[in-house]
Amino acid sequence: MLGSLSGSRLRRTAAGYALITPAMAVAIAFLFIPIALSAYWSMTEYNGLTPPHWVGFHNYTYLLSEPQFTKAVKNTVIFVALGMTVGPALGLATALLLNEKVPWRGVFRTAYFLPVTASLVVVSVVWKLLLNEDGVVNAFIELFGIPGQAWLANSNTALPSVIVASIWQGLGFETVVFLAALQSIPAHLYDASKVDGAGSWARFRHVTLPGLRPTILFVFVIGIIGSFQVFDQVFVMTGGGPNEATRTIVFDLVERFRNLELGQASAVAYLLLLLLAALSLVQFWIDRRSRR
Amino acid sequence: MNASNGRRALIFAALCAGSLLMIGPFVWAIGTSLKIPAEVFASPPQFIPRPFTLEGYKDVFTVLPFPRYLLNSIIVSVSIVALNVVFGTAAAYAFAKLHFPGRNFLFGALLVTLMVPFQVNLIPLYRIMVELHKISPVIGVDTYFGLIAPSAVQVFGIFLMRQYISTIPDSILESARLDGASEMRILRTIIFPLARPAVATLAIFTFVTAWNDFLWPLIITNSESMRTLPVGLAMLSRKNSVNWTDTMAGTVLTILPMLLVFAVLQRRFIEGLTAGAVKGSG
Amino acid sequence: MKRARAVVVIVAIAVVATTIAACGGSGGGGSEITVWDYYGSASPIKPAVEAFRKKYPEIKVNYQAIDYETIQDKFSVAVSSEAAPDVATLDMTWIPTYASQGLLANLSQLSGGKLNGKPIEGQYSKGALEAMSYNGDYVTMLSDFDAYALYYRADKFKEKGIAVPKNWEQFRQAASELAEIGSNGKPEKYAFQVLPDTFHFDQFLLQNKGSILDPEWNKAALDSPAGEGALEFFKGFLEDGSGILWGKDQGDSTGLPGIKDERIGMFLNGPYMMGVLKDGVPEQAGDWKIAPAPVGLQEGSYLGGTGLTIPVNAPDQKDAWTFVQFLLEERQQLDVYTDAGAAPATEAALASPALNKPDPFFGGERPFGIFRQALKTATPYPYVKSWTQIDRAVEDGVTSALLGENSAESALSNTAGRIDELLAQESE
Repeated sequence: MLGSLSGSRLRRTAAGYALITPAMAVAIAFLFIPIALSAYWSMTEYNGLTPPHWVGFHNYTYLLSEPQFTKAVKNTVIFVALGMTVGPALGLATALLLNEKVPWRGVFRTAYFLPVTASLVVVSVVWKLLLNEDGVVNAFIELFGIPGQAWLANSNTALPSVIVASIWQGLGFETVVFLAALQSIPAHLYDASKVDGAGSWARFRHVTLPGLRPTILFVFVIGIIGSFQVFDQVFVMTGGGPNEATRTIVFDLVERFRNLELGQASAVAYLLLLLLAALSLVQFWIDRRSRR
Repeated sequence: MNASNGRRALIFAALCAGSLLMIGPFVWAIGTSLKIPAEVFASPPQFIPRPFTLEGYKDVFTVLPFPRYLLNSIIVSVSIVALNVVFGTAAAYAFAKLHFPGRNFLFGALLVTLMVPFQVNLIPLYRIMVELHKISPVIGVDTYFGLIAPSAVQVFGIFLMRQYISTIPDSILESARLDGASEMRILRTIIFPLARPAVATLAIFTFVTAWNDFLWPLIITNSESMRTLPVGLAMLSRKNSVNWTDTMAGTVLTILPMLLVFAVLQRRFIEGLTAGAVKGSG
Repeated sequence: MKRARAVVVIVAIAVVATTIAACGGSGGGGSEITVWDYYGSASPIKPAVEAFRKKYPEIKVNYQAIDYETIQDKFSVAVSSEAAPDVATLDMTWIPTYASQGLLANLSQLSGGKLNGKPIEGQYSKGALEAMSYNGDYVTMLSDFDAYALYYRADKFKEKGIAVPKNWEQFRQAASELAEIGSNGKPEKYAFQVLPDTFHFDQFLLQNKGSILDPEWNKAALDSPAGEGALEFFKGFLEDGSGILWGKDQGDSTGLPGIKDERIGMFLNGPYMMGVLKDGVPEQAGDWKIAPAPVGLQEGSYLGGTGLTIPVNAPDQKDAWTFVQFLLEERQQLDVYTDAGAAPATEAALASPALNKPDPFFGGERPFGIFRQALKTATPYPYVKSWTQIDRAVEDGVTSALLGENSAESALSNTAGRIDELLAQESE
C-alpha cells in the first residue's frame, strides 16, 4: 500500500517535470540565458565589438547620478501614477455602468474593448494623427474657442498626451476585468445589505469593494509591471522629446542600446527590475494587511 | 419606476458618450484612409471623405507585397498561439496541480522575468539567433523559427492558465487517477475541456500580442519575404514624410483580422479572463 | 481530444512551413554581400543592383530595403552581434555617433585613397570631404548631399513686386510682403515655413558666424550673441506673422500639405525637395523658383545627406567597396537624381549636363548650380559620439523658443547646459 502510494507520487513528480520541460526549455533558451547574459553585461563596459570590461557596480552608481536617467525615472513614475489611478478608476466606473440593466451591453463592451486589440504602435500612430496641430482634436476644441495646441511638441503637454492615449488603449481591459469581477459577486450579499437598509454608497463600500479586492490587486500588479515598461507609445508619438519630457526608463534603455552602451543599457533594466520587485512586494503586503 | 428609468437613460447616455470616445479614433482612422493626402488635415475637419478614394489601399497593395506580409503574420501568430496553448497549458497544469521539488522556485523564476523589459534581451537574443543560424539556415536570424521561438512560451499565459486550473477541484483529478489515468491523459481529457474558457483567453491574448509585435520581428527579419504586417507597413514611411492616408489604410488592414478573431472568441475570452483575474488571484 | 489533434496538426504545418520558407533564403557558393538601403520605394540603389550583377557576375548582392525610421536600431543590433551587413546607407546625422564608436570601416585604408581609379580628393567638394572623414580617415562616402537654398513662389513674388532677397534684411522684408495674414492674425497664405529643427537653426547660426560646438568639439558654443541673434532672427518670422511653424508633430518635414494648399510660399531646404515638389504638386509647375539662401554675416549651410558605409566587421569588405565604388560611378550617381529626386554628391555627377539643363518646373532655370554653390560653403556636423542626442537637444531648445515657452537666451543656455552634460559623459 505504502509502496504503491509513493510510486504514484514518484510518477506524478516525473509527470510534473515532463510537462514543464517544453516550456522551461524555451524559457531557458530565450529568456533565462539572455537575462543572465545582460545581467553580466550590466557589470561591464561593453559596446558589442571589443571584449566586455568588468566595472562592477559602476554602471548602477553612474546611472543613479545621471540627470538623464533620473529624468526618465521621474517621467515614468508620473506616467504610472496617473495611468494607474485614472485608468483603473475609469475602468471601474465603466464596469459599474455596464453592470446595470441597460440595452446594448454587448455592443458597449465590444466598443470599450476595441482599442485593446490594436497594437500600441497602431494606437500611437492614430493618436499622433488626432493630436496633430492641424488635427481633429484641435479643430474640435477650437469650436469652443480654446486655442489649439502643439500637443506633442510642447514639453508641458507631451507627457499628458501620451498618458491619455495609453489610458484610452488600456481602459477596455480594465473594464472587462472589473465587469467580470462584479458579476461574480453573489447577489444575495447585495440583497442582505438592502435589507439592512444600506444606501448605495454603503453597499459599494461594504459589499462591492471587498468583493473586488483580488481583482483590484490583479489589475494593479499587472498594470504597474506593464506601465513601468512603457516604450512603444513614446517611441512612436514623441521620440522621448521634447526636452526629454517623455523620456521613460525603457526609452532610456533603448537609446543606450542604439549608442551601443550595452553595459549601461543592461543596468537600466536591472534597476527597473529591482524597483518592480520592491513595488510588487509592497502591494502584496498592503493587500495582506488590509485583509486582516 | 420613473426615477429608475431616468437613471437608466442617464447611464445609457454616459455609456454612449464613452463608446464614441473609444470608437471615434478608429472611425477617424478609417475616414483618413479613404481621403486624398491633401485633405487629411483640411479645416474644418472632414468626417466624410470628399473626394472618396481607395488610393491608400491601392498603394498598400502595389507598393508592398501585402499578401506575403499577411501570410507571414498568420503563420507566425497561429504557430505562436498553438505552441503557447500546448506548452503553456501543460506547464500551467504541472505548476497548479502536481507536486515536485523546485516547483515554486521555477514558477517564481518565470514570474520574475515578467519584470524584465523585453528590450534588454534584444541583443542577447539576437546573438543566440545569429549562432543558431550558423548551425542551420532554417533557424535563427531571418527565419520563421527566429520569429516564433522566443514567443513560443509566454509567462503571462502560464500565469493565467495556472490561476484557472487551480480552481478545478482536486477530487475530479483524484478520481481519474484512481481509474488509472496517466497525468498526460488527465491533461488531455479533463484539464483541456474544463479549462476551455481559459484556453480561449490564452489564445486571444497570445494572438493579440503576436499579431501586434513590432520590435522583435523588426530586428530579426531582414528580407522582405520574412516581414510580418506591422514591420512591413513601417516601410510606408519615408525619410522626410509620413503618408497619412497610406499609413491609415495599412493600419485599418492590420486591425481588421484582429477584430474578426475577437468577435468570434469574445465571450470565451471574457469568461477566461474572469477566472484568471477574479477567482484565482485571491 | 479532437482539439488536441488540431493543435498538433497546426504545429506540424507551422514547422513544415518554416522549413520550406527558410530553404529559399540560403544561397550557394561564391562571394555574397548584403546591402541595407533606406532610400525606400524611389531607391537609386535597387536598380543599380541589376547593373552591378552584369558587370560583376561573381559577386552576389543580397539587397534588403530597410525603413529609414528603424534602420538605426537594426544597424546597432546587427553590428554589435557580428552580423553586420556589408554596405549600409546611413544618414550623415548618425555617422558621428557610429564613427566615434569605431563601428565604421576605415575607407581610406580599404580604398588605398582611390575611388574608381582616381584620388578621392578630386571627386568631392571640400565640405563633402570634411563631412566624410573622421580623425583624418574616410569613414563613409557621400551618395547624396543636402545643403540649403531658398525655394520661393516666383509667381507671387512677381505679382506682388517682391525682389528675390539677397541678405537677411531683405529676407525679412520679402517674407512679410509675401504672407497674407488672415483675420486671426495668423498667416493664411504664402508664409515662410519655419521648421524648428537643428538643420534650419544651424543655417542661421552658421550665417551669423556662430556654431553649435566650439572648434575643439568639447563644449557648447551656441549660447553666444551669435546664437541668440540667429534664433531671434528665426523667431522673428513667427512674431511678425510672416512665418508658419511647421512642427515635428506634422509628421511631415517636407511641408507638402502646406505647399499644396498654398499656406507655404517660401522655404529653405535641400535639393531633395525638388523631387518632392515635382511629385507632390505638379499643378504648381512653373510657379516655384530656387535662389541662393539669403546671406547673413557670411554664407553657410549645414551639410548632410546619405553616406554609403561599410561596418568595421562587415564579412566581405573588399567586395563591399567594389559595390560602393560602382554606386558612385557617374551613371549610378545620376540615378540618385532621377530615381530618388535627391542631389548626387560626386563632382562629376554634379557637373554632368544631364543635371544642368534648364528645368521647366523651376521656371526654366538651372537650380542644381545653386545647390552646388551652397555645398561649397556648407559645414558638416561635428564628429562627437552623442551627436544624435545633441541634435535632439538643439531641436528641443529651438522649438521651445519658437513656441514661446522660453526666451531665446534661456532656451540656448539650457540647451548648452544639456550639451555640456552629454559631452562630459563622453569624455569619462
